[in-house]
Amino acid sequence: MIELIKVSKTYPPDVTALTDISVTIGRGEMFFLIGMSGAGKTTLLKLLCSMETPTNGLIEVTGKPIHKLKGTALARLRQKIGVAYQDFKLLTDRTAAENIAISMEVSYKKPQIIRKRVVDLLEQLDLSDKHNTITGELSRGEQQRVTLARAVANSPALILVDEPTGNLDATTTERVMKLLNKCNSSGATIVIATHDDSIYRDTTHRVMELRKGRIHAVNGGMNA
Amino acid sequence: MNFWFTVFRQVGRNIRQTWPSQLMTLLTVSLSVLIFAFFYLVYTNMLSVGTKLGDDLRLIVYLEEQPGPEMQEQLRRKITNFDEVQEIRFISKIEAYDRFVNQLSQNKDVLEDMPHDFLPASIEVIPLKTLRGLTQIKLFSEYLAKLPGTIKVQYGQEWVERFYSFTRLLSIIVLLSGNLLILTTVFMVAYTIRLTIMGRQAELELLKLVGATNNYIRTPFLLEGLLQGLLGSTFGLLSLYLLFDWIKVQFSGPGLLTLFNFTFFPYSASFTIIGVSILLCTVGSFTSMQKFLRI
Ligand SMILES: Nc1ncnc2c1ncn2[C@@H]1O[C@H](COP(=O)(O)OP(=O)(O)OP(=O)(O)O)[C@@H](O)[C@H]1O
Ligand SMILES: [Mg+2]
Repeated sequence: MIELIKVSKTYPPDVTALTDISVTIGRGEMFFLIGMSGAGKTTLLKLLCSMETPTNGLIEVTGKPIHKLKGTALARLRQKIGVAYQDFKLLTDRTAAENIAISMEVSYKKPQIIRKRVVDLLEQLDLSDKHNTITGELSRGEQQRVTLARAVANSPALILVDEPTGNLDATTTERVMKLLNKCNSSGATIVIATHDDSIYRDTTHRVMELRKGRIHAVNGGMNA
Repeated sequence: MNFWFTVFRQVGRNIRQTWPSQLMTLLTVSLSVLIFAFFYLVYTNMLSVGTKLGDDLRLIVYLEEQPGPEMQEQLRRKITNFDEVQEIRFISKIEAYDRFVNQLSQNKDVLEDMPHDFLPASIEVIPLKTLRGLTQIKLFSEYLAKLPGTIKVQYGQEWVERFYSFTRLLSIIVLLSGNLLILTTVFMVAYTIRLTIMGRQAELELLKLVGATNNYIRTPFLLEGLLQGLLGSTFGLLSLYLLFDWIKVQFSGPGLLTLFNFTFFPYSASFTIIGVSILLCTVGSFTSMQKFLRI
């Protein structure tokens, strides 16, 4: 699903965020990305959805060099990638339901299907009563969940999640992980960047640790 | 189907968000269409009056004395030397007198004491329809004036000259207001679309990130321009039509307008104006998108 070969990213003028990252993430895998603040987790996710372009190296997502795609080809691929951004990127003057619907609208899903999916997701994330609330009026934790709901709404093949549980209590964190696990078992590849060791401590999935933009260690997975 | 559903919802959102400036643009487009169409309407009507006048155009050559048959032949040859003409008619002194009497009808008693040959004989020359334009008619009349035995040549010089310069002035005004129409529509529409784009920068960025195609993002803006053009020009033409109708009612009866027999545009011209306005507005929204959407 994802192929990174000797990828480096230097922000202008000379902030090196990532150096020589090579990793392969298989279809249907759940993959944890950990590391201290500033290690480059967010940067890596941004490269995967072509929000940033790599300074060096090759990135392939579903076999396509995403950093070279443009226009409709890039749009089509992005429709298959759901991203929950660390800074949310919610439209704060729209309701929670409208925000979640956006990712489905751009791929022209039927309105009644969109409505049903939105209600369903809000229910799963314990936000049913916020359906018509403007997201600007939600708490950080609620906003975070709306962001996640938007990322998974269109049933994308690849889900990138940046710090999904940063503002959440243990119970809600569990709900979030349950939703992600559900997406994973229905076939989605998931990459989670996080500080929260409670969500990857006992995992059987691979965990990659970044330190100062380099791969420090990859633990777990099949041979763990 | 779903595509158009989402597009129309976007358009609705845009209009709700920036309706005051949308309304301003609509009014500007209507007003410039109204101004242009008004002058163009006057111009086309003047042109049709012009052709009608041209149909009646004749040069009257007054002669010192009544020509005999041989002289008539000579004059006829001289005239056709200059140009083919449609008709040459000789009016004798008696015929001229009879005509005059007819024109006076009830007041003909004033002529009782006059001799029946006090009016000069004349030649009526009706030029070919191809002989159009003021300068050509002027040249012809100068030529006729130099024929031996002519007193003077008349064709309503002053009237014709005034009419021609009036239509020329009108054509300039039509041209200017046409340019005004182009400028205002393109710029105003470009400006409002720019406002919408600026107001929704965050949303447009996000749309790109979640995989909206360029068509998805662009079509609502293009449609907005198209709507501005369609509605603006329709309102403009409609108000001109109402104005036209009102004037017709106010000035009906014997007057200037009945003489000119004012008519509104044919459908084809109205549709052309609407079509061109739509095109201009779409161009306006397109240029704005090229500049500010960065996609
Ligand atoms: N747009 C940018 N311009 C310049 N430098 C940047 C930019 N974004 C990130 N950086 C730098 O790149 C490095 C990696 O940042 P990144 O956001 O990837 O870290 P992170 O691992 O996500 O941290 P956190 O856990 O705090 O979210 C940091 O040193 C950061 O200052
Ligand atoms: Mg980060």
